[in-house]
Amino acid sequence: MIMNLTVKIGNAQFANPVTVASGTFGHAEKYYDLDEVKKLGAIVPKTVTLHAREGNPPRRIAETPSGMLNAIGIENPGADGFIRVKLPPLQKIGVPLIISVLGHTDEEFKTLTEKFHQQKGVSALELNLSCPNLGKKMLVAQDPEATRRVVKLVKGISRVPVIAKLSPNVTDIAAIARSAEEAGADAVSLVNTFSAMVIDVNKRRCVLGNFTGGLSGPAIRPMAVYMVYQTAQQVKIPIIAMGGIMTARDALEFILAGATMVAVGTANFIDPRAPVEVLEGIKEYMKKNKVRDIKEIVGVVKH
Amino acid sequence: MAKLQNVYKVVSNEKLCPRFFRLCFDAPLIVRKIQPGQFVHIRAHDGLEPFFRRPFSVCRAKKYVEIFYEAVGPGTKILSLKKKGDPLDVLGPVGRPFVLPPAGTKQVVMIAGGIGVAPFLILSDVLKKKKGLELVLLYGGRTQGHVFNMKEFKNNGCATHMATDDGSIGTRGLVDKLFSKIDLNSKTTFIYTCGPNPMMAAVQKFARRHGIKGQAACEEIMACALGACLGCSIRTTKGFRTVCYDGPVFDLAEVIFE
Repeated sequence: MIMNLTVKIGNAQFANPVTVASGTFGHAEKYYDLDEVKKLGAIVPKTVTLHAREGNPPRRIAETPSGMLNAIGIENPGADGFIRVKLPPLQKIGVPLIISVLGHTDEEFKTLTEKFHQQKGVSALELNLSCPNLGKKMLVAQDPEATRRVVKLVKGISRVPVIAKLSPNVTDIAAIARSAEEAGADAVSLVNTFSAMVIDVNKRRCVLGNFTGGLSGPAIRPMAVYMVYQTAQQVKIPIIAMGGIMTARDALEFILAGATMVAVGTANFIDPRAPVEVLEGIKEYMKKNKVRDIKEIVGVVKH
Repeated sequence: MAKLQNVYKVVSNEKLCPRFFRLCFDAPLIVRKIQPGQFVHIRAHDGLEPFFRRPFSVCRAKKYVEIFYEAVGPGTKILSLKKKGDPLDVLGPVGRPFVLPPAGTKQVVMIAGGIGVAPFLILSDVLKKKKGLELVLLYGGRTQGHVFNMKEFKNNGCATHMATDDGSIGTRGLVDKLFSKIDLNSKTTFIYTCGPNPMMAAVQKFARRHGIKGQAACEEIMACALGACLGCSIRTTKGFRTVCYDGPVFDLAEVIFE
């Protein structure tokens, strides 16, 4: 059976719907089997900021029930450092890149867009509007107007599709997604991590150096599936879904809920083969259920 | 997608004392690649509890890969139940290994606390082949029965000195009580240390005072072990560095122990 797994975000086409979530994939050239990596639909490297960031003080992570709490603090070499050191080996892999960028101001988002949108191999930009670990009182993705403003600004410059990455730490994520859509976003990606906290009872202190962090992993998956479902009811643009995907079955839940693409995140830390296994599993499901085109099952969940 | 991830078979899992275990698994690939100080990242089972893999220093790699561990938490407790023939999902070897002592070194002092003795067995397997190198192990543990048997170190030609918290074997007190046992020369002695942070901090202070160079093998809660998540960062004089990718072995003078 010939199956079509290709998906589109704006005018960018991807060979299949499986990608990796930002911040969960690194040093591919040293540690990964590149033949396997090449099977992915896209690669999303860790978020890049305009200037280098050293990240949050340790400890940065904690193990939680079926999940992980993190407050890395977007440690990254800055846009120029990334372009010099990290981008070339990623370009060499040959898989379309979705560059995740985070500006602290509108001006920074503008500069980041200018630096990245015409780089070789870059198929789209993902605007990280939702990192919970930078000590900000309010995230862009918690404010529909701010979301609209930033997306509109970047859309005005970018020659590649623009994706808005949304936060689950809101009352109504679909309303934020609508703002992004109205401002011209080509897709929304959700969800980023849930704000959370773990306390060491003996020390009576927060475990993380940043006190609070973002929760990810299978622990958040049912909530993320619901948010994708809610959003799919209200926007027409594609959704890139993430939130605790470990297996193909998990990924299919998101697709049935309305996701066009799925990103494997925290699972990369436990089972680095998870993304390719998710892809293989989706293919098996399609074969078994005689699904000829992946788009046939996007958002078809029954009530 | 990691080319370093494989399922191997457990060869043995021996209980050395109530909580200490030594597990061997058959991984010719790792035996071939491993360098002293590197580690393996083991998934205790397929379930989600505990969620992370667990990192273990490789303690020896002759025919099989050996790790020495203490069953303290949910991961190591599951590991302690593994039997001969059980599958074991292992990622590795990963991490930056020990550098060999600089030319002119005549004496190597390995200073270990508790389970931190593990990487020094494989290190001494390599160093014993260097002619004219005096090997010394200073080892501190909780109590008799909670210390690694010194026989294999002695077989490698190491002079061993022990300290236990209760004095049941060797000197009573922490491992720093043993510093006086060694005849140092700041120019020809090189230190390796691995153990709890307060112990390594004491070793660092001692090394600084005597102008001795060395290396420290560090530990931190870890998720990916591949330098991807940046979760296991520690403070160093050069800024934050990941234990899994930039380490676990660091220049002793560079680590800021907390």
